[in-house]
Amino acid sequence: MNEPLKPVYLDEKLVEIRADGHQDYRSKALPTWCPGCGYFSMAEGFTQSLKRLGREPEDVVVVSGIGCASRFPFFINAYGFHTLHGRTLPVATGVKQANDALTVVAVGGDGDAFAIGGGHIPHAARRNVDITYMVFDNGIYGLTKGQTSPTSVLGFTTPTTPYANGDEPLNPLMMLLAAKASWVGQAYAGNPHHLTDMMAEAIAHRGFSYLHILSPCVTFDKTTRTYKNLGMMVRDLPADHDRRNLMAAMAEATKVDRPALGVFYEEERPTLADVMDGIAERARKGIAAE
Amino acid sequence: MSAGLHYVVIGAGSAGHGAVTTLRARDPAARITLVTMSRLPFYNRFDLPRYFRGTTDWRNLLAVAPQIYDELAITLRRNSRVDEIDGRARTLTFSHKEVVGYDKLLVCTGGGGHLPEVLVEYKSLMHGFATFEDATRVARALPAKGRVILLGGDMIGLDLARTLIDTGHRVTLVAGEFTFWPHRIDAAKRAELLAALSRAGVDVVTGRTPVAIEAAAKPARRVIFEDDSAIAGDVVMPFFGSMPLVDFMLGAGVDMERGILVDPRLKSSNESIWAAGDVCQIWSDELKEYRFLHGWKNVRLMGELAARNMTGAAEEFDVTADFAIGIDASGHVQSDFWEQ
Amino acid sequence: MTGTDVQFAICGSAGDGTIAAGDILKRTMAAMGYKVIAFDIYPAEIRGFGKCISRVRVSIEQAYSLKRRSDVFLSLNDAHAIPHVGEVRDFGAVVYDDAPIATIPEGAHISAHIRPAQLPYGASFRQISDKVTGNARARNLVALGYLAGLYGMPRDAFHKTIGRKFATKAASVTQVNVRAFDAGYDAGASVFKLDDVVMAPPPVGADGSRAQMMTGNGATVRGLLDADIDCFFGYPITPATSIMERLATDLPKRGGRMLQTEDEISAIAATIGAGYAGARAATATSGPGLALMTEMMGLGVIAEVPSVTIVSQRGGPSTGLPTKTEQSDLNLAVYGGSGDAQRIVLAPTNVEGCYRCAGIAFELAEKFQTPVIVLIDLYLSNRYETVIPPEVKPFAPKAIPDAAGRSSGPFKRFAFTDDGLSPRAIPGQNGGVHTITGLEHNELGRPADQADNHQRMSRKRHDKLLAATRHPGLTVAKRFGRTGKVDVGILGWGSTFGEILEAMYAAEREGISCSAMKVVMLSPLPVHLIEPFFDDCRIVLVPELNHEGQLAHLVSGTLGRPVVRLDRVTGAPMEVDTILAEIRRLALGPAAGNAA
Repeated sequence: MNEPLKPVYLDEKLVEIRADGHQDYRSKALPTWCPGCGYFSMAEGFTQSLKRLGREPEDVVVVSGIGCASRFPFFINAYGFHTLHGRTLPVATGVKQANDALTVVAVGGDGDAFAIGGGHIPHAARRNVDITYMVFDNGIYGLTKGQTSPTSVLGFTTPTTPYANGDEPLNPLMMLLAAKASWVGQAYAGNPHHLTDMMAEAIAHRGFSYLHILSPCVTFDKTTRTYKNLGMMVRDLPADHDRRNLMAAMAEATKVDRPALGVFYEEERPTLADVMDGIAERARKGIAAE
Repeated sequence: MSAGLHYVVIGAGSAGHGAVTTLRARDPAARITLVTMSRLPFYNRFDLPRYFRGTTDWRNLLAVAPQIYDELAITLRRNSRVDEIDGRARTLTFSHKEVVGYDKLLVCTGGGGHLPEVLVEYKSLMHGFATFEDATRVARALPAKGRVILLGGDMIGLDLARTLIDTGHRVTLVAGEFTFWPHRIDAAKRAELLAALSRAGVDVVTGRTPVAIEAAAKPARRVIFEDDSAIAGDVVMPFFGSMPLVDFMLGAGVDMERGILVDPRLKSSNESIWAAGDVCQIWSDELKEYRFLHGWKNVRLMGELAARNMTGAAEEFDVTADFAIGIDASGHVQSDFWEQ
Repeated sequence: MTGTDVQFAICGSAGDGTIAAGDILKRTMAAMGYKVIAFDIYPAEIRGFGKCISRVRVSIEQAYSLKRRSDVFLSLNDAHAIPHVGEVRDFGAVVYDDAPIATIPEGAHISAHIRPAQLPYGASFRQISDKVTGNARARNLVALGYLAGLYGMPRDAFHKTIGRKFATKAASVTQVNVRAFDAGYDAGASVFKLDDVVMAPPPVGADGSRAQMMTGNGATVRGLLDADIDCFFGYPITPATSIMERLATDLPKRGGRMLQTEDEISAIAATIGAGYAGARAATATSGPGLALMTEMMGLGVIAEVPSVTIVSQRGGPSTGLPTKTEQSDLNLAVYGGSGDAQRIVLAPTNVEGCYRCAGIAFELAEKFQTPVIVLIDLYLSNRYETVIPPEVKPFAPKAIPDAAGRSSGPFKRFAFTDDGLSPRAIPGQNGGVHTITGLEHNELGRPADQADNHQRMSRKRHDKLLAATRHPGLTVAKRFGRTGKVDVGILGWGSTFGEILEAMYAAEREGISCSAMKVVMLSPLPVHLIEPFFDDCRIVLVPELNHEGQLAHLVSGTLGRPVVRLDRVTGAPMEVDTILAEIRRLALGPAAGNAA
């Protein structure tokens, strides 16, 4: 990964899609993202992973919030719910509660997830709702044209931080690990093959899986998170990283200057649906908790 | 008058009611509490016979509207029995364990029916006549044209007898030493008055002492005499005069004989305690004795006078005037006792 | 009101078994065939031993509200009861324990506060309980027995209720309580009754065997369950919490799911998520929670997702008066949120109405593809009424959309149709794949901000709801009392309508020409029923428990007709006398008639 990868362009991707036969998972709508946006590779990775997992479009629900990343469902051929700013996870929880058989994927940007929606993350994670949450983190508010986000670096200058951002950026991986997410991984838009693998693994995980995806904003951030900078920063997780070891995962997550790609943490534990089924069984048998 | 004084009047008969209204008139700023064991607001006991004339709803017996106590800012404590009085600490304790302080206390608890020792064990077979509840029970036990046997026959009983006869009932009077109580009369007068009662329709039994009462089928009661003879009636009612109800005063540090001993101003031996009505014995300088004064009117006047004296007056009650009993122009017994 | 109409009030602390005594009383009366309406007041604070009052109105004819003045008052704790003893009417009864454990200062006993025209009854409940059960804990049953004995109510009926109440406990528990009750009964039966309260037996043939005592919240839960609710999401908030609590117990028994979410936003978000996925999903909250939910309501409106939200109002704004009743969230329920977001709002007026509205809400939400709010209030949430539940569930089963077999091409989830109702598909269904959004969209659900599209879509969302005012099996508005032209009309909504009815009938007995109408569907407003009512009334009075006249504004704004407002925000239900006085003031009395 020494080579900074070039941006992915729509025309090239469409050619690729046709060649690979993934059209089934792309909607007829053309993405509204800026040319070169990292999100194209996410749409691509997502459709590829669904294909790989053999999920039918009608059994998949993509739920998103508000922001550039949250436009995602419109470009996917699956059931989609473009909801409110920050409310992705509770809506996705409701969808999953209604029908355990659905593959539910929640999608949002860093502002949607960690600013307005931050309160929901720990609860979806600790309940282990069997959904996948993919956060496309470009460290900026793109849809409103370039304000700081909770993951913007210190010193970042934007229209709302003309004298430089003084707020310490959030560490999303630490937050999700602390909140007991049962699968935590990180990928990079500039590394689409790895991204696809990670998406497929996250969706396949039984329980709440969190995939953090680093991405540039090619339009509003020309200085900090460029493909060039990110490409130089990211690294693989150490080969001997134990994904069952929470403390090791946290230790890796603290190294924010050299973000690692891969699966930080994984555990199997009962999902919300398992808990609900257990409650229903006890209720039918008339067993009240003491 | 000094603001904030707390007057407590125990007993809400005509003496107590007269006292609190007088107290309020003379001391607008005082706190006034009227205590009674009755569950009803004030009615005159002498109105109870009206029950047999159809006044069966107690609300129509009330002497005043209940709201008058609110208007006069008098706290009316009904259904409340005083268990003891601490004359030094100036507190009283209710049987429900509430302790109430007072500055000046007036006791006018009246008298309870006296019962000769031999009849005490038959109490449950007799009907009293002190309260509205009593009147109701008598009326329920008494069929139309039923017979009432009056034992003793004090002036309260004879008052009831007049009404019972008027309302078509039959009355047997078992006369004895308490007949015409509290009047003190000689044998000749007694005979004359009994004759008048006979003429008025009362079946008078004399010279026989009741010793037992039995329940029976119909009529419901039998009164047995010393000589094993018996008479039957629906209801048996004892009227042997009254005894002051002063048990709770025993420990109060007040001089008592049968009743509470008071001076002519109705003050007891305790600086803060007065008494009025059937409960007190008033000192007569003239007669050099403590004496009871009875009769509806006396009782009311005593209550009012005590209240005036509690609020600064120094009036004396006239204890010499006896009240008369006789036969009026139409041949009926007439007594000052009944004067209202 | 003819025949028996007696209101009992039982006051004590939470530890005295106050509510339990009231509960046995009301259930027994209902089982005997009386009509019962009851309201319990619990401690406002989190203390275990705060004040409780249980008020139970027992009548032969249906009563519509509690009476301002109780006929019989039982104190199980004088400190709590003393401030309330004044509510007993003249010649009514005050019953209390006359043997406290220790000496108490002047004024601490209730007998110091009984008004001269009220009748005092003292008995030593504590001692009797101790004597027959070995401790004083059953004194509430002794006291209840005393009331039953005093008024000659049948012992057996109470025994049955006590047995049922303690059915899950050891048999000895029932025996102890029955023993305590009987001892109290004997004491009460032997007392000389002096008050003028009469408990005549229920009419021959009155059958209470199927009658149940239910609160508004309880009936709401029953309605949701009878409509086969699948999922419930909630966040605790007074006075709606008991809905969630009841469902937490009952919903899993039938395989349903109740989830306590992290806040009200999540609760409605998950409800809408589940509704989108085809479930019958509901949430319940109060005003502050609804305020948080309004953004999601807007999403539900524009994305046309069915959802049911039960809102039990309390005093506001903000945290307001959490334990007091009020009707001040009408505006929020009807209008709350950004943009034009008309939704269906139902406001039942009594406990049975809670059942009907909660159950039919799903039917409406599914048919009209919209959020439905059932708007009640604390007074209705917590008050008990006798309800005879229908033997057959009266609600339509879930309408499962079916996209299968449709022709190819993109699914037009928001297709324009004659009635504004578009075909619906739910995730998992082949051929119906689509994306919905809070953005204005075209027929396919894709973002579209063209002027004509927004105009058409706004009209579609508005017009499709109008048919809800004529939905079968639902009373959206109803007139009571005299028909035809009247002098004074009283228009009301929610729990206050009980007091309105009592006041209207009282005014009618006084010879005032009047009539009342309840409005159950607040949005869309059933103008076709309300307008003729206005035509028939010389003047229309709108009594409601808010300060701004929210229904008054809604109705007069929609109809363009004037109304007279009667607004009260005391935290308590509106008093019948207050409404009656206003009716008298507005009425053309005989004097006015003569002058004319």
